[in-house]
Amino acid sequence: MYLALREIRFAKTRYVMIILIMLLISFLVLFVTGLAKGLAYANASSIKNMAASHFILQKDSDHRFGRSQLTEDTLTAAQQVAGDDNATPINLRMATVTEQGLSLKSDVTLFAIDMASWLAPKVIEGQTITNDTQGQVLVDRKLKEAGIKVGSVLVDQMTGASWTVSGFVANESYSHTPSIFMNEKDWLQLQSFTPVKGQNASDKSYNAIALKATGEQLAQLRAELADTDIISKSDTVSAVPGYKEEQGSLLMMIAFLYVISAMVLAVFFFVITIQKMSQFGILKAIGAKTGYLARNVVGQVLLLSIGSLAVSLGLIRIVYAVLPASMPFQLDSSTVLLSCSLFIVTAVLGSLLSVYKVSRTDALDAIGRTAA
Amino acid sequence: MKPLLKIDEVTRTFHDGDSEITVLNKLSLQVGAGELVAVMGPSGSGKSTFLSIAGALLTPTSGEVTIDGVSLAGMGGQELAELRLKRIGFIFQSANLIPYLKVEEQLLFVAQLAGMDSGKASKRAASLLERMGLKHRQNYYPDKLSGGEKQRVAIARAWMNSPSILFADEPTASLDAERGQDVVRMIAEEVKAEGKAAVMVTHDERVLPLCDRVLYLKNGALVEA
Repeated sequence: MYLALREIRFAKTRYVMIILIMLLISFLVLFVTGLAKGLAYANASSIKNMAASHFILQKDSDHRFGRSQLTEDTLTAAQQVAGDDNATPINLRMATVTEQGLSLKSDVTLFAIDMASWLAPKVIEGQTITNDTQGQVLVDRKLKEAGIKVGSVLVDQMTGASWTVSGFVANESYSHTPSIFMNEKDWLQLQSFTPVKGQNASDKSYNAIALKATGEQLAQLRAELADTDIISKSDTVSAVPGYKEEQGSLLMMIAFLYVISAMVLAVFFFVITIQKMSQFGILKAIGAKTGYLARNVVGQVLLLSIGSLAVSLGLIRIVYAVLPASMPFQLDSSTVLLSCSLFIVTAVLGSLLSVYKVSRTDALDAIGRTAA
Repeated sequence: MKPLLKIDEVTRTFHDGDSEITVLNKLSLQVGAGELVAVMGPSGSGKSTFLSIAGALLTPTSGEVTIDGVSLAGMGGQELAELRLKRIGFIFQSANLIPYLKVEEQLLFVAQLAGMDSGKASKRAASLLERMGLKHRQNYYPDKLSGGEKQRVAIARAWMNSPSILFADEPTASLDAERGQDVVRMIAEEVKAEGKAAVMVTHDERVLPLCDRVLYLKNGALVEA
């Protein structure tokens, strides 16, 4: 590191510039990563918050709740295997609601769940609802920012059904729309507004069944319920409409940033190394070993990338503190650690070309040269 | 007395297309302690090849090179690098200093490479710079030095690890006559003072009086003038 440090001291401008570029890239990597995590959570938090390990959906529903339809028999069978408490039904539908008195329209996802089960969300403001309440719903906090209060009346645009807001829940959304929770009774009533031909409106059907099940129970369920798909929670989350597409494009941006940072470092150090070829020849002639010189090149890269990472971590903290709470941004320490190590690894990979070049320098070049 | 450099019937051939060119042909040379030998010869006579082989940078096709009693035959790249670091000092045509090291650090760096104790290294660096008349320049970067000063730093660097033998590749090529004389005189003085050997390849006839022996490279062998 003797040479590495002194070279940085000597050519300050050059190295400050590369640190700046690295700083911008690593900041962007961390920021976009935080955004991707935040959006992922904001997109499907209702599913993510469910304490379920798996979900039962209809076969050929492409893992999407909205496309799946299960009968009461399936629920009974699932409850027999997993235990009554460990299998609980979910119904959902996307809807547009308006608020009486306000000219507000909002796209929401209506969830119908057993309010006595472990799927029931925690109320942060107002009164919770039970399976016996009528015309009462719990809504996501985001609607509060739109002007809705406890006691507001929401009207479903398509059916005209209306509910009173009983309380607010936090971080509940599905496909980026705020979630509204109701009990089964209100759901059946809603269904009666849009009868399906050949089907009795009072026939219970479910979009999905949330499960808390062990491996053995899962195997048994899969054998018994031939007409269903039993999928894990993370598979369900990535099947939420728009989730995969959103995460895919963000992931591509992050991947590109890693590649760009590796390329920038590779090119920068390659050019510098080529400039110094004769110097390396001299150093080798006077007895410096290739390993020593390679260590100095890699040491410089490590120093620059760790330095710029440290600064961008500081910047991220500041930005995080300044961002409004509604901004979907999540960056936990394990993600930071992973991103940083990945960044350092790509930086070192980028320097390998230069190391190779150093190893190819011949000490013989030093003899018989007029200028270097 | 045991010679510090012994070259025994060294031959070196190169392939040039289908034909084979013999650059050095059974060349022999012995240099003892306190001796400064000048090697002259026209361009293309094989001076660089001679210096590369003697300086453990190139392996001869046949023959043996012995430095301070150690034969180079069969040594690997790492061993040769180690030997160059501790037993051999090099002075190149242009000083070839590391641009981002200050004068004193140029010397401390090679000492550190050789694993010299840092306290001992700074004492030796100080005394070498004193002798080269560079004491007042020790915290300068090479780009602030004149050509003669740079070459003197290069000499100090070459002597830093107390090598047995010093090789100089046209050390006066980029200097005017007076500074060239100074530089060679300093090399000669150090050789005498420290009891070392030195071989200098040169075109510069004005510095020959400072040398103990002058040899000419002719037809791949060294002959006395």
